[in-house]
Formats: sequence, structure tokens, C-alpha cells
Amino acid sequence: MLLSVDDLAVAYRTSRGDARAVDGARLDLPQGALLGLVGESGCGKTTLARAIMGVLPRNGSVRRGRIVFDGIDLLSLPPERRRALLWRDIAFIPQSAMNSLDPVYTLRAQLREVLCGRGGLSRGAADDRAEELFAAVGLDAARLAHYPHQFSGGMRQRAAIALALALKPRLIIADEPVTALDVIVQRQVLNTFQDLSRDLQLSAIVVTHDVSVVAFLCDLTAVMYAGKVVEYGATRDVLRAPAHPYTMGLMQAFPDLDRDAETLVSIEGAPPSLLDPPPGCRFAPRCSLAEAACRTADPPPLGDAHWAACIRA
Amino acid sequence: MTHVLRRLVLMLLVLWAIASILFLMFRLMPGDPTTAYIDPTFTAEQRQVVLHQFGLDLPLWRQYAIYIGNLLHGELGLSFRYRAPVAGLILNVLPNTLLLTLTALVIAYIFGALGGALLAMKRGTWVEAVTIPLVLATRAAPEFWLGMLLLAVFAFAFGWFPSGGAVTAGAAFPSALARVTSADFAHHLVLPAATLAIYLQGLPLLLMRANMLEVMQEEFITMARMKGFGEWSIMLRHAARNALLPLVTAFALGFGASVGGNVVVETVFSWPGIGRMLVDAVASSDYPLAQGAFLLIAAVLVVMNAVADMLYGVLDPRVAHAAG
Amino acid sequence: MPPAETVALAAPRGLAWRRLPSLAIVKPYATVGIAIYLVFALIALFAGRIAPYDPLEILFAPDGQLAASLPPSAQHLLGTTNLGRDIFSQLVLGARPSLAVGITAAIGVASIGTIVGLLSGYFGGLIDTILMRLADVVVGIPFLPFVIVLAVLLHPSLTNIVLSVALLLWPNAARVIRSQVLTLRQRQFVEAARMSAASELRILLIHVAPNVLPLSFLYASIAVGWAILTEASVSFLGFGSADTISWGYMLQDAYASQALSRGQYIWFVPPGICIVLVVLAGFLVSRGYEELLFPKLKD
Ligand SMILES: Nc1ncnc2c1ncn2[C@@H]1O[C@H](COP(=O)(O)OP(=O)(O)OP(=O)(O)O)[C@@H](O)[C@H]1O
Ligand SMILES: [Mg+2]
Repeated sequence: MLLSVDDLAVAYRTSRGDARAVDGARLDLPQGALLGLVGESGCGKTTLARAIMGVLPRNGSVRRGRIVFDGIDLLSLPPERRRALLWRDIAFIPQSAMNSLDPVYTLRAQLREVLCGRGGLSRGAADDRAEELFAAVGLDAARLAHYPHQFSGGMRQRAAIALALALKPRLIIADEPVTALDVIVQRQVLNTFQDLSRDLQLSAIVVTHDVSVVAFLCDLTAVMYAGKVVEYGATRDVLRAPAHPYTMGLMQAFPDLDRDAETLVSIEGAPPSLLDPPPGCRFAPRCSLAEAACRTADPPPLGDAHWAACIRA
Repeated sequence: MTHVLRRLVLMLLVLWAIASILFLMFRLMPGDPTTAYIDPTFTAEQRQVVLHQFGLDLPLWRQYAIYIGNLLHGELGLSFRYRAPVAGLILNVLPNTLLLTLTALVIAYIFGALGGALLAMKRGTWVEAVTIPLVLATRAAPEFWLGMLLLAVFAFAFGWFPSGGAVTAGAAFPSALARVTSADFAHHLVLPAATLAIYLQGLPLLLMRANMLEVMQEEFITMARMKGFGEWSIMLRHAARNALLPLVTAFALGFGASVGGNVVVETVFSWPGIGRMLVDAVASSDYPLAQGAFLLIAAVLVVMNAVADMLYGVLDPRVAHAAG
Repeated sequence: MPPAETVALAAPRGLAWRRLPSLAIVKPYATVGIAIYLVFALIALFAGRIAPYDPLEILFAPDGQLAASLPPSAQHLLGTTNLGRDIFSQLVLGARPSLAVGITAAIGVASIGTIVGLLSGYFGGLIDTILMRLADVVVGIPFLPFVIVLAVLLHPSLTNIVLSVALLLWPNAARVIRSQVLTLRQRQFVEAARMSAASELRILLIHVAPNVLPLSFLYASIAVGWAILTEASVSFLGFGSADTISWGYMLQDAYASQALSRGQYIWFVPPGICIVLVVLAGFLVSRGYEELLFPKLKD
């Protein structure tokens, strides 16, 4: 496995107590695979992604669990060693490239910063590589001289991809890379990303709340609910034969290409409070199939190729 | 481009308005502007001669027309006291004021930018709790009192620095440039510049701190951390670089305001600048000189206000390109 | 058609006055500021009783000698000036003009700023253009030089200092209040009042003005410090009111009487500290109040 996350818990200190945004998450990513991480808004996807990077907001911290990258236990690594892995081995594509690019530098300067500062390239080599990267993501090299605000949303997202690819990382974590874009541009950027992932044999976690993105792009799917990964498996299996009632609900909530948008069904109820989660299965209060046992026992995520954290699985 | 043009037109309008206000102030105030100057023992004829000499016997609108016309030629009239052209007198002392202001501002802004950045990184600690009231206190202290303290301690008690003037009395220099680059001049500059700098550093410091705190919330700071850069390089290259933009504008504004605000510091240290010249001229009822000094100070202020507005557009790429 | 009162009830709380009392509790800095104000207000109020001597009286020692430049003692807590005047008495009485100037100038700045901001923002058009260009001109007038020239042309007095401070410091308040009025004008409740055919003036006074008053208060609290500093500077430059003992006057007196070279710190340090404290109090209160009005996101 390139990356294994096991029993990971991340909490944010807030004035009303600890918000357990990720609470016992498990997932595995083999070399060369694209894994889609789906779930409702607020279920902890971004938190999980940022915990893997090791860059959490000031009030957030990892409370327990393991993150193993290429055999290295990241959480027990000294901070300097861990920082050394960033971008060279694990890179990140943010949701909104508008805010994640520094407005006062041109894209060439920002690529150069990474290529020289983190990759050890000379200035000339960096500029050549920058052009190569821009070509790879479908941007005109002339654009390198532009500032972020001169780009359209789709072009900025492409630039963010170029930045992430700069040092040929072994793992890319993309947090909703196309959510901010309109549908047509989404398609184009996704196509580019798919081509790149094939050519470069990328390993990546793609966070999204859009099942169709997962269906289009990813080999593996992990479904997240209230801080936990509740189902995991090959995309084909998870989408065709969902084992967790939440996944079933999610399938219905999203229209896919051959279904009409009108049949869209959303899951009733709201996710539980992160400050004081209910005992037992977190989904039980909203689950139409819940039994009495669901409200007391929290089923662990057991299994290998395709598993679900549900007593019925 | 139209933006810049409009700003320039506004600047000229404001300058004209201030010149007119000043004209009215000096002409319409109670008392004849020459009462202080003309000796009560003068005969009516002598009086008339003096009034005529200064153009004060003409109707008001004629005086105004001549005044504006002269201004356009850079002609500021004759000083009552020195009997010399005001423009020459002012231009003579202007470099002293500009050097004092610039030195103090540069020190204040370098110190303020660094201090503000550090303070932002120390937010929520006791360092912050102690420093902020202290910085506010330097802004609350009258400039001349700061100057008096420095004078009493460093000039009189320790004798490290001279107590006034820009160069030692009687010192001769081959040229104006040699004079202001001499060690003597620098030695005289230390205390007034320090006073002004202490007074001025609070603004850039607090501004920098606030900007830094804001920028540090930005997504691109998080991204820089994810890229594996060290905290210091992130603060410097991204946080400080973005937070500095508004400081450049503030520097321009501060320059305009200080040239006028210098009057007290120049007085405390007998610094031969335009501020002290204004004070002396007002005190001795030398109205042409007072008017000229005032106008020049106002001109610097108005021009720097406009420069600040335009700089803002030039320095921030977002604004620069949007204005197109 | 709803009567104006019910419309007013529906008005957004906006920058509510009711939060004002909590200022002292929430913001420790502001508490310190208010405490300083109170102490100096009490000193100013009872200055006549606290001061042991007439501040201008020239004192003589029992042996008939001029009591000049005496060091601090039980009789003269801060010693005497080179002319034999009691420094402590001057310091105590100096609180009066400083506070008087600060408070009246603050009222002046806030009044002009509020009226201009209200008229400009509410009526817009030509009135707005004229008033805002006027603000541009005023911002271009060098502050201290103007105060000095005006103080000399009209005769030097506290009133004239207050007048010139009020004449020059209003534009910031006016600009901010104007933009606040612009947003308020868009809001529903003013629209509703419009439809009820309430007169423009009534809308302005009843619905708009109360919502900008907290801003007026903010700018007033900022102006207090500026006015006190200005009075001190003008007095120091020798253009102050001749018959008033203020802290600025004391500093000018000390400077002109060579107290600096004699090292008579006790003469010129205390008045400066008093000015710093009062002006600082203004800064602390306005900062706390500003944070209350515009709460920033806590990390
Ligand atoms: N800095 C923080 N402090 C406190 N709570 C936070 C913080 N950041 C996130 N949270 C909370 O943690 C939970 C998980 O947030 P997270 O951003 O990981 O969700 P997400 O799945 O990425 O949602 P979205 O789809 O909206 O991006 C949310 O309830 C959120 O409110
Ligand atoms: Mg998210």
C-alpha cells in the first residue's frame, strides 16, 4: 500500500468543546490508484485530507490513529522530516485556486518557488520545467507571466494542478478540485486530470461530494459519513452494489448520466453533532434499516477489498 | 489611465481651493495684515508706500487675480521681515525638512514593518499584551515632549548630541551637498530624527500587524505550509509581502502629513526647516512668508495624498490590471 | 400602512447602543481607558480643592527669598518653577483646559461629521458631490500649520483651537458615516418608511440617524486625543491661550526656562505623562469600542 490510514481521529478545539471532525477513519490506497473520497458537506473530508498533509488549522489536532505512507508512520515522524516529504512526495490540489495562489506573484514565480525552493532546480531548469508543466495541463506558456487574478477559474485550477505535479510527487491529494467550476469546465479539467493520471500513473485521493466525479475518474471509492469512512471498495463494486445504507442513500441523492434529475432523492435528517456524537452507528438515526443493536454497537470497518461499517454487511 | 487623470485633476482643484482659502484667511481676518509690520509712527504716506509695495492697495479681486497669477509662476512675494523673495527663503530650508522627514519615516517604517510582523506572529501572548499599550503610548505622547526628553537626557545630561541646529554654528561647507552629507549634519540629525521616528513608528507597526493577521488567515498561507516551506520563509515571502502593500500607501500619506507635522519637532530642536520657518513667520507677522510656507506644506500634503492613491493602484496587481 | 413606530421596531439592531455598557467588561483595555478618564475628570472637577496654591502665584520662602526651582518637598510636591510657582498646582489645574478642549472638540468633530455624512449619504446627488469635494479639500490642509495660523489670525484662545480642530478633523467621520447611511438607505425599513409617506427629514432623523450615532461616538472618542495633543502643541509653540495654565503651557514654560539643561525633570516629565495618559485613554476606549462595533473573526 502506498498510503494506509487507520483509526484516525482529528478534533478541533472550539468554544463549545471539541468537534470530532474525523473520528476513526480508515482507508487504503495502492500504488497507482485513484481513490474517490465522497460524502456530504461537513463529514470531515477536508479535515482528513489536511491531516494526511499534516497541515491542520491552528485549533485542530490529530488525537489518535496511524497514517502510513510508503511504510513510514507519518505521525511519529519528527516535524522536520515530515515537512521534508511535503510536495516532493505528497502534493495537494486545493478546492479554490483563487485563494490558494498568492495574488502578488506571477505563476512563473510561484512555480519557481516550488521548483527551486523545494525541488532544488536551478532557475533556468525551473523555467523550462514550468513551461513543460503548463503544456501538460493545457495552458499556454505565455500565461506563466500572468498573475492569478488574470486567469479564469478553470485555468487557475489547471495551474494548481501544474503546481501539484511540479516535483513529481508520489501521492496527490485533491480537495474538491473541480467543485468551484461550472459543469462544462469541470468536464474539461477532469478530462485533463484523467489523461495526466494515466500518463504519469498518478496515485491520488480525490475528495468530492459528487458521485459522478468518482464514477468518472476513480478506481476506488471511500464513502465518508460523520467523520468515519463507512464503506470502501472498488468503485465498480461500491456504486453497483453498495453495502452501507448511507451509500445507498447517497447513490439516490445524485443523478447519474442515465437517470433523470427529477428522481433525485435526498436522505432525510441531518448528520449528528460532532461535539457530542450519539452512541452506536452514527448513521442509525437517519437509517431506514436501523435495528435496536445499531444504536448501541458501532461496527468496526472490517474487511479487505470491499467493506462497510454496518452490522448488516 | 482615466483614473489617474481624474485623480490629478482633483489634486489641482484641491490645491487651488486651499490657495484660495489661504488668501481669504489672510485678507479677511480682523486687522490689516501690515499692522504688525508698519510702525505706528509711519505717516499716512509712508504707509501708503508700503501698502503699494505689497500690492495691498488694490481691490480684493485684483489682489486675488495677481496672487493666483503669481502662484502659477511660482512667485510667492516678498517677505516682510527679510525683504527677500519668499520662494528663495523657503527653497533654502526645504532640503533640511525633507531630509529630516525622510530619515525618520524610513527608520519608522522599517522598524514598524518588522515589529508589526513579529507582533502578528506573537499574537495572543504576553508580548502582545505588553507591547500594544506601549506602542499606543508612543502615539499618544506629544512629539515635542518626546523631543524634550531626548534633549534633556542625550544632549544636556550625557552631552552626546548637540541641542539644536542642523550644523555647528559657523561651520563652512564647500557646497550644499557637502553640508548635508557631512558627519556634523548627521550628528545634528540624530535626535530630531529619532524623536520623529519614535512618534511615527506606531502607525506602520499597528497597520502591519493587522494586515499580517488578516493575510495569515488566507488560503495561500496554508498552501505554502503544505508545500513544506519553513514558517519564517512563509511569513517573509507571502505574509509580509502581501501585508506590506498598504504600508507603501501609508508611507506616502505619512510623508505628506509629516512635512506639516514637523513644526513642533523643528521648533524643539531649532532645526532650520520649513516648519520652524512657518512658526517664526507667523509669530513675527511676516504674512507673505507664512503664506508661502503654508502653501508649500499643503502642496506636499496634497501631492502625496494623490501619490498614495495612485501607488495603491500600481502596487497591487489586482487593482493595477482591473483599472486597465 | 404601518405607523412609523412599528416600522422602527422592525429596524435592524445595527450598531446597537445596548452593547455599550458591556464595553468595559468585554475589553480590558477599554476598562483601563475609562478608569483613566474618570480619574482625570475627578481631578479636573476638584482641581480647586486639590491644588494647594494659585498656579500663577509667585511664592516666597519664609526667609523672604524667592522660592525658585525648589526640589520636591512636602510643601511643594513637585517642587517649584524658576519663578517660584508651584508645579503640582499647575499640573492639577492643567487637567481642566485639556479635558475641556478634548471634550468640546470631540463634540464638534462628531457633530459636523455626522451632519455632513447624513446629508451627503441620504440626499446624494449635488449635495453629496459638494460635501465630499469639500472633504477632499479639508484633508489637503496641513493640520498643525492651519491651527497655528488660525489661532494667530483670530486671537489665541482655547475656543479657537477647538474651532480649528473641529473644522479640520470631520472628514473621516463624515466619509464613514456617509457610507453607513448609503447601506442603511438600501434597507427595507427605510423603504417601508418611505412608502408610509413619512417626510424625508423624519426618516432621516428617526430611522437613519440613530443607527449611525455609535459611529459618531467612535469618531468623537478618537478626536478627544487629537484635540488634547493639538492644544498642547499649539501652547508649546507659543500660540496658546495666554491666561490658561495647561499642560502644554507648562511644557513650553519649562522648555523656555531652560529646565532641560538644568535637568529639572520633575517640571517637564509629569505634564507629558498626564497628556500621554489622557490621550492613551482615548485610544484605548476607541479601540475597544471599534472592536465592539466591528467584531473581527477570532482565529
Ligand atoms: N477550524 C475549525 N474549527 C472548528 N471546526 C471546524 C474547523 N474546520 C472544520 N470544522 C468542522 O469540522 C467538520 C468537518 O469539516 P470539513 O471541512 O472537514 O468537512 P468537509 O467534508 O470537507 O465539508 P465540505 O464538503 O463542506 O468541504 C465540519 O463540521 C466543520 O464545521
Ligand atoms: Mg471540504
